[in-house]
Amino acid sequence: MLRKASYWGSHYLLLSLYMLFALFPLYWLVKVALTPDDLLYAEGVRLWPSHAALGHFRYVLAHSEFPLYFRNSLIVSGATALIVTLLGGIGAYGLSRFSFRGKTLFVTLMLITQMFPLVMLVAPMFRLLAPLGLTNSLTGLVIVYTAFNAPFATLLMQSFFDAIPRELEEAAMIDGATRFGAFCRILLPLTLPGIAATSGFVFTAAWSELLFALMLNSSSNASTFPVGLLSFVSKFAVDFGQMMAAGVLALIPACLFFLLIQRYLVRGLTAGAVKG
Amino acid sequence: MIELRRLARAAEPYCFIAPLLLLIIAVMLVPLSLGISYAFRDIQLLDPFSGGFVGLDHFRELAADPSFLAALRHTVTWTCASVALQFLFGLVLALLLHREFPGRRLVQALVFLPWAVPTFLVGLDWAWLFNPVVGPLPHWLQALHLRHDAGNLLADPATALLGPIVAAVWWGIPFFAITLLAALQSIPKDLYEAAAIDGAGALRQFSSITLPLLAPTIAVTILLRTVWVANFADLIVVMTNGGPADSTQTVASYLFTTAFRRLDFGYASAIAAVLLLLLLAYALAILGLRHRFLHRPA
Amino acid sequence: MRRASKLATVLSGIALASSATAGTALKLVEVITSPERTETLRGIVKSFEDANPDVHVEIVSLPWGQSFEKFATMVAAGDTPDVVEMPDTWLALYANNGALENLEPYLKAWEHTPELNQRTLQLARVIHNTAYMLPYGFYLRALYYNKKLFAAAGVSAPPKTLEQFVAVAKQVSKLPSKSGYCPCGGAGGVNAWMMFGALESGSNVFFHADGSSTFTDPGWIRGFGDLADLYKNGLAPRDSVNWGYNDIVAGFYSGTCAMIDNDPDALIAIAARMKPEEYGISPWIKGPSGKSFPTIGYGGWSMFANSRHKDLSWKLIATLDGVPGNLAWNRRIGALPIYTAAAKDPLYADARFRGWFDELADPDVVPMIMPMDLRVWAVFVSSIVPRTSQSVLLGQLTVQDMAAQWAQVLTKARQSQK
Repeated sequence: MLRKASYWGSHYLLLSLYMLFALFPLYWLVKVALTPDDLLYAEGVRLWPSHAALGHFRYVLAHSEFPLYFRNSLIVSGATALIVTLLGGIGAYGLSRFSFRGKTLFVTLMLITQMFPLVMLVAPMFRLLAPLGLTNSLTGLVIVYTAFNAPFATLLMQSFFDAIPRELEEAAMIDGATRFGAFCRILLPLTLPGIAATSGFVFTAAWSELLFALMLNSSSNASTFPVGLLSFVSKFAVDFGQMMAAGVLALIPACLFFLLIQRYLVRGLTAGAVKG
Repeated sequence: MIELRRLARAAEPYCFIAPLLLLIIAVMLVPLSLGISYAFRDIQLLDPFSGGFVGLDHFRELAADPSFLAALRHTVTWTCASVALQFLFGLVLALLLHREFPGRRLVQALVFLPWAVPTFLVGLDWAWLFNPVVGPLPHWLQALHLRHDAGNLLADPATALLGPIVAAVWWGIPFFAITLLAALQSIPKDLYEAAAIDGAGALRQFSSITLPLLAPTIAVTILLRTVWVANFADLIVVMTNGGPADSTQTVASYLFTTAFRRLDFGYASAIAAVLLLLLLAYALAILGLRHRFLHRPA
Repeated sequence: MRRASKLATVLSGIALASSATAGTALKLVEVITSPERTETLRGIVKSFEDANPDVHVEIVSLPWGQSFEKFATMVAAGDTPDVVEMPDTWLALYANNGALENLEPYLKAWEHTPELNQRTLQLARVIHNTAYMLPYGFYLRALYYNKKLFAAAGVSAPPKTLEQFVAVAKQVSKLPSKSGYCPCGGAGGVNAWMMFGALESGSNVFFHADGSSTFTDPGWIRGFGDLADLYKNGLAPRDSVNWGYNDIVAGFYSGTCAMIDNDPDALIAIAARMKPEEYGISPWIKGPSGKSFPTIGYGGWSMFANSRHKDLSWKLIATLDGVPGNLAWNRRIGALPIYTAAAKDPLYADARFRGWFDELADPDVVPMIMPMDLRVWAVFVSSIVPRTSQSVLLGQLTVQDMAAQWAQVLTKARQSQK
């Protein structure tokens, strides 16, 4: 009994410590977003401003271009997450369930794309996309983000697929199921948490990406919100309050997306394994 | 007839990877090879007359460049510390979340939040927290007697790298936690039940069931994270800009400075090529391990 | 194959359509972006569009923190504008590469050219004695001081000489968690180093006749040492080794720094956050030679040589820099005027601009133009100076070594660049 109590005691203690660590900086973001400009430095260290105000949020929503940037970010991130999950899932299935000539080469190729610092790809990428009219456009950004995230998503999903033995599907296929049917009935339910997690990561990666959104697109119609955050920094002043307010607002869609796929992330006690 | 079917069977796997392959070749490998080719030429971004072939000159210069060698050292520290801490805390968190308990859904959602913040904002947020004028951390560190004055960690070359490391760990734990949790969820429960019946304790269950089945995911996530963190310049550029006095300059941030301040894309590409080679060697090592693990005799 | 040709048809169709509907489209890029500036720019551009009904100007605002690299990438990839805001530190990079249009013929024909003050044309012609840009205003360094902190420390008046400066800084630094002076340890610090160096050397000459740098002369080294000592002796916040413009201005209006050196455009940010009686501006301090050498910088407008609408682009520049446009612009950004007559404008009669006009009127104040015509200047300012000066402030490098390194870079640049 004591062992169980001490286990749960430490369980909750560790969780609380982590929650504190994870949430404190976010709390600080919110606190700065609620602090009026004149108190920003005067009351910098206080845990809560003496005069909390929603002015920054109002400015971001009503006077800045943020609603436009949000919309752009939503479109780009959603499209990227969808396409990458599809393409990557298909590719991961191929990698996991088949052995074929060139497999190692393909995997190595995908890894290499992850290793080269993206900073160096900016100039060549610009030259590549400009004649196609894909610079200063959301489509171009989706293409670039899909290419960036697909290797990682594929490799990650492959590792989830690898953990489930092939024999389970092969048994179903011997019984007459098609490959696709076997995938849907056996592999998919078991690896749904992994696929959901990957999808969530791709969405947030596209949501927060800054370098290419900044370099490839110039007009505000094609700018995403991280670029918008940069516009709060001018030569002599950084509008921290407004920037943090925009940052807090931007957290909402990312969280919502994650809450959406969360159902697939956690499987209850009843979702047991395949018997036999 | 059989020939056709055999051909179809052989071509099947390629169909799965074809769209991916095309996309990667077109959008990534072409610019990448262009980028690597710059390493052998003199490319000054704004000088239209530059572009002459210089062979291995950049690499020779790199080998003798004290800033680059120092950056290499910092990169090792930065990468090892960040990834190790993220992984450890992430694993512990994943194990904690694997158990059912009241409020688990909420905790899981909150755990993910740090990852959703753009790195630019993460850097600024933590830079604020470490700034004694507007942040509480220096004062707390002083109160806890961990530092003798409430100075900014980021202004002292001896401690400056800690700032981005802490920020990177904060930001990266969710990645490991969620990924490892998802992998944990895929382990069939009756394996544990069978082991418990056989009398295996929690630790034994962990080492003989959990760890081996988690191994593929662990290998991939550590590999990917290491590669990303090594290439990750955002936090350092935002929080310290490589300073003070280059004490937090990593290869990635040095690359950024060379490319976008000196506008010397030739030299920067050489740096990128060296980084690529190092990471490739590292990746092949990990992949070799994973291959051995996955295909070892049962 | 078919899909590719279909795509090509669609794309060319779009291109044709867009060129048919619009009259002429000009692209204007602003780089020292802030919300107020963009708004002002839009206003001036609108007056241009009203006067030229068939023209539409697209304003692209680059975020200031990344504008250097973003603009360089755009230009390198061929995405060039017609007119661009050109900071002084960038001019050498673009003008020396032949990217910018020579504005001399346009200036010759312009009716407002005789009304420009002497400095405007002098600075416009910094590269090869040819005007590759038309300045919109000047940035002259002056001393901002916090009256409240001075009162609390018992300082009655702003310092006029170097000795007074150090003494005042010492006095204010005695107040708990306050500092006498805040330098820019990070980006943007070059101006202060140059000013202190020139102060002790008594001259603003950067190069000897043979093109070698004067930085290794004892006067300059003494001056660099003076600035380094301010930090090393605790008269500046420890954190300032990392600070940029934003940080020292924030340090000033948050009441941490009693004195900073800065340009008139910082006034806008400071005036928005401090009451007029809390701060003042006085001419930059004089050195042992009795002379003062505040740095002078400028921003302006340039035309790209590959613009397809050169005459229209010049008209846009003329509107931006015309008398009403320039005044509206400077009212918002706070730079000193380019027109001789503008000095009498009520904007500049304000007590706060007094400091700068006093500087301009004083014969012992010699505005110092830094060697911005060197191609290496941008790199020198953005990475060599911060890195080496931080090492000096932290005691890792001696002032002599830093001066020697700077001299080496600049001598090589001066002697190789024609």
